[in-house]
Amino acid sequence: MTRNTLFRLGDWGIYALFIVIVLGLPLMMDDVFWLNRIAKYLVYGMLGIAIALSWGYAGILNLGQGLFFGLGAYMVAMSLKLQSYTSMQQGSDRPVPDFMLWNAEPGAPTELCCIVKGSWLWLPFQAQWFGMVMAIAVPVIVALILSSAIFRLRVSGVYVAIITLALVLLVRLLIIDAQPVTNGFNGLTDLGWLTVAGIEFDPYMVSTYYIVAVSTCAVLLLTRWLVSTRAGLILQSTRDDPNRARYLGYDVAAYQVFFFTVSAGIAGFAGMLYVIAAEFASPSFLDITFSISMVVWAAVGGRSSLIGAAIGAILINTIEATASETEMFQEAWKLIIGVIFVLVVLYMPRGLAGLAQDLAGRIADARVGGKQRARTGAPAE
Amino acid sequence: MTETLFIGLSLSSILLLIALGLSITYGAMGVINMAHGELVMIGAYTAVLSGIYLNLNFFLALPLAFAVSALVGMALERLVIRRLYGRIIDTLLATWGVAIVLQQLIRLEFGLSFFGIHVEGLGPGLQSMDVPSFLTQPFEIGGVPIQPYRSFIIVVTLLLTLLTWFLMYRTSMGTQVRAIMRNPQIAAACGIDVRRVSAFTFAYGSGLAGVAGVLLAGFKTVMPDMGASTVVDGFLVVVVGGVGSLLGTVLASGLLGQINGVFAILFNDILARAVVFGVVIAIILWRPRGLFSFRSR
Repeated sequence: MTRNTLFRLGDWGIYALFIVIVLGLPLMMDDVFWLNRIAKYLVYGMLGIAIALSWGYAGILNLGQGLFFGLGAYMVAMSLKLQSYTSMQQGSDRPVPDFMLWNAEPGAPTELCCIVKGSWLWLPFQAQWFGMVMAIAVPVIVALILSSAIFRLRVSGVYVAIITLALVLLVRLLIIDAQPVTNGFNGLTDLGWLTVAGIEFDPYMVSTYYIVAVSTCAVLLLTRWLVSTRAGLILQSTRDDPNRARYLGYDVAAYQVFFFTVSAGIAGFAGMLYVIAAEFASPSFLDITFSISMVVWAAVGGRSSLIGAAIGAILINTIEATASETEMFQEAWKLIIGVIFVLVVLYMPRGLAGLAQDLAGRIADARVGGKQRARTGAPAE
Repeated sequence: MTETLFIGLSLSSILLLIALGLSITYGAMGVINMAHGELVMIGAYTAVLSGIYLNLNFFLALPLAFAVSALVGMALERLVIRRLYGRIIDTLLATWGVAIVLQQLIRLEFGLSFFGIHVEGLGPGLQSMDVPSFLTQPFEIGGVPIQPYRSFIIVVTLLLTLLTWFLMYRTSMGTQVRAIMRNPQIAAACGIDVRRVSAFTFAYGSGLAGVAGVLLAGFKTVMPDMGASTVVDGFLVVVVGGVGSLLGTVLASGLLGQINGVFAILFNDILARAVVFGVVIAIILWRPRGLFSFRSR
């Protein structure tokens, strides 16, 4: 066996192990409270994948990924809000969100069409499928428009990060300002459950965990396939040297737009799943801290490894949840994560995935012997 | 009208105060220092602590905060940033970690709170600083009410800007800094000690953040995460103005501050900030290098 074959086997082995653990977890753990928590962290893992795809493979640092996550979350939350019992409290058989009743002018008709200004926007969300479709469609459309503008104008590097950062802050403020329609700072709470074919998905049910777990694995495999296609390889060449790729005749912007949009679509999908598991949507999804945290997870896990970024996100959040059982340790944990993060950037820029690769390289060397070492380099992943 | 302009001017001066230090560290050194807000916070805490323990008044806190923040900045440059020159995105990420660490150090009272020791003036709570009474009594000039503290901030910002201009354009150190800005390799080849100059530049930019912190402490509550929200605004100003252009930073803070002020009166504070972000996005898309940047090769 050559060194490369060993590497490929190891790579697929890690993917297989990850999927087996994620899908098999409910068999080992019957604490539904923790299962629900882990479902949320798997969603974060999906965000890690989205970041690794745009940052690691396309070289585009998106500091506003929370925008797409938040849009996806809000879209599906609007549908689930209308299915909630709290939207039925005004007496009629047609739902109106409770916060709109509180905000309505006295004497306003208690109908979704016109109870407050702009509430008609909610009308199509009475159908759950509409909210779910929009949870992917809206982030994708926004990302398509935004990235077309950015990459056609050849804005690059740190300026992309600043534009995405400013945009997520902008939308966050708009959501907060549109208080009568979005419930402002408080966000959408007391949501109903996802209902598919008459089955209600209680967030604390194993089947809801499986929705998230299967989605995460699917996204992981899909992105892994995507980066190994011809388009994925061209994308990586645009990251390494955009001018050369352009010179060779590739439409660099088109590849960047496509992968930026895919990354945004994954984030929107993640937002949707998060709402199903966590039962709320709030403007805090669009805070800068959240968007930067995603980048932190990806960097600790390995910015240029899809599965590394996912594991980084899941690991950090699981440890954090364990640490925050006691209040004192919660604050100390933040300090530790800050230090870890500085150290990772300084000494381990490839993250956990890089560490694993180096380790695998050593094992492979020991097995194959020194002869091949000079001949072949380590593959990218 | 004059009042609107004055509000805009005072918003601009605070923006400028924060952006001035960033314009130096980012412009001269290509470092996106996400911990700049925490250096502001450290300045504010220096004022609070020196008031409690040293009985220093507000005016003496200004140079002290400059010194403390400059020292912290120098340590930051030596320990972290020095290893990351040329890796701009990594400076952003590493200093984000540093920002968390600095916040938590204040919140946990440098770890003393684990041992049940409480240091007055530190910890997760809110702190406040006393401002001399003659700076808080509004007065009138020709029928126009003047907020003395806001005017004081404007004056201090103006003086610091002039000082920075003088240091950058009229001293040999400044010439060296500007040479490094254009091209660090050539500057080093011409015999400039890039490491030393960079360390001083970073310390100076950090010191300016400390002064900004004292001034902010005069009208905002002091708390561990007070700086975190300021750093983004500061960056947007620097980028809009053009990296490495002092004039650009001054004008951009004026522009964004006035836009904020005008729209805050037309609509409300939230929408005004949203408009500012919109303008920033448009300007970066239109001119990614900012409004006033020098031509680079």
